[in-house]
Amino acid sequence: MSKTLTSTTLSAAALALALGSALTLSTAPAVGAEMEKCFGVALKGKNDCAAGPGTTCAGTSKVDYQGSAWKNVPKGSCEKTASPTSPTGHGQLAAFTEKKS
Amino acid sequence: MSDQPTFAAALLDPDAPCPAGLTAWNGSDPVRRFAVYRNNVVSSLIDALADTFPVVHELVGEAFFRVMAGVFVRQAPPQSVQLVHYGAGFPAFIEQFDPASSVPYLADVARLEFLRIRAFHAADADPVSPEQIAQALADPERLPALRVTCHPSLGVLDSRYAVASLWAAHQGVGDVAQVNPFLPESALIVRTGLEVHVVALPPGSDRLVTGFVDGLPLGEAAALALAAHPEFDLTIHLALLLRYGALSSFHLPTELSP
Repeated sequence: MSKTLTSTTLSAAALALALGSALTLSTAPAVGAEMEKCFGVALKGKNDCAAGPGTTCAGTSKVDYQGSAWKNVPKGSCEKTASPTSPTGHGQLAAFTEKKS
Repeated sequence: MSDQPTFAAALLDPDAPCPAGLTAWNGSDPVRRFAVYRNNVVSSLIDALADTFPVVHELVGEAFFRVMAGVFVRQAPPQSVQLVHYGAGFPAFIEQFDPASSVPYLADVARLEFLRIRAFHAADADPVSPEQIAQALADPERLPALRVTCHPSLGVLDSRYAVASLWAAHQGVGDVAQVNPFLPESALIVRTGLEVHVVALPPGSDRLVTGFVDGLPLGEAAALALAAHPEFDLTIHLALLLRYGALSSFHLPTELSP
């Protein structure tokens, strides 16, 4: 690629090399791994989604394990996370009505 | 009862008299009731700006922020009922706000924070698939003409200050004391799934991304970035954009024949 440095154009071959190498590099670390919304597992004030004013989701849950508040967790782990308020005893992928303790 | 424009203007002007003809349901003094309402209107808008610009708020402190935001709110009240996008003009206002001139990077930090809000609410788009990339690579002769579409949430901020590092230091990543704010930095703001990322970019990336956004084909966008920064490395830049799902589609102009 160094031979292209003298001019400001890049050959098709240089572009192919760059894109091909970029593809290899970019797939190595799994940044942005798959996440899922998990309801009923967030402690109060620790729910996810700080999305600016007017959206009332940013760290606003008032109680621990609120059934309508969610947190982003790695995919597959939600229904294995304990939630004392959940009828199933674990986090759920949709909002639920908390059971009375 | 006074007309609506008079009423609205009096809400934003602390020296304006209470609009004529107001009565309170319980017979209390309308002048005092109006003053309470006026105060609530302005302070709720200042609160909204504090939610949108938390790092600016931290950088200058509560007292300074409330005064600065209060001046802005009275000058530029919201034009929409949706407060989510309120404050688009706040960075430019900060730049012109004399008392803030001792913190020269404040306006760019505000720009970064507003790009994050924009990214949060931008439309979804799937990242370009490995199959699409393979398809593009299978026809290397046409790569220079490849059109690249960026994710709708994507924003780039080119700054004379270390905006991305400053912002990160306020998220508990790194130490503010270790950040030299006077090193120029470009920041990439993009949403992957539900998470908005702020990434410090190597020099030249802003040119490449701006080229894509302006609809330039890959070959021209890369040449522009290379012309601006001789050390520009296309591989690293494309890898970074692909890793964050910042590119959402590739296509070739159909009518083009060699």
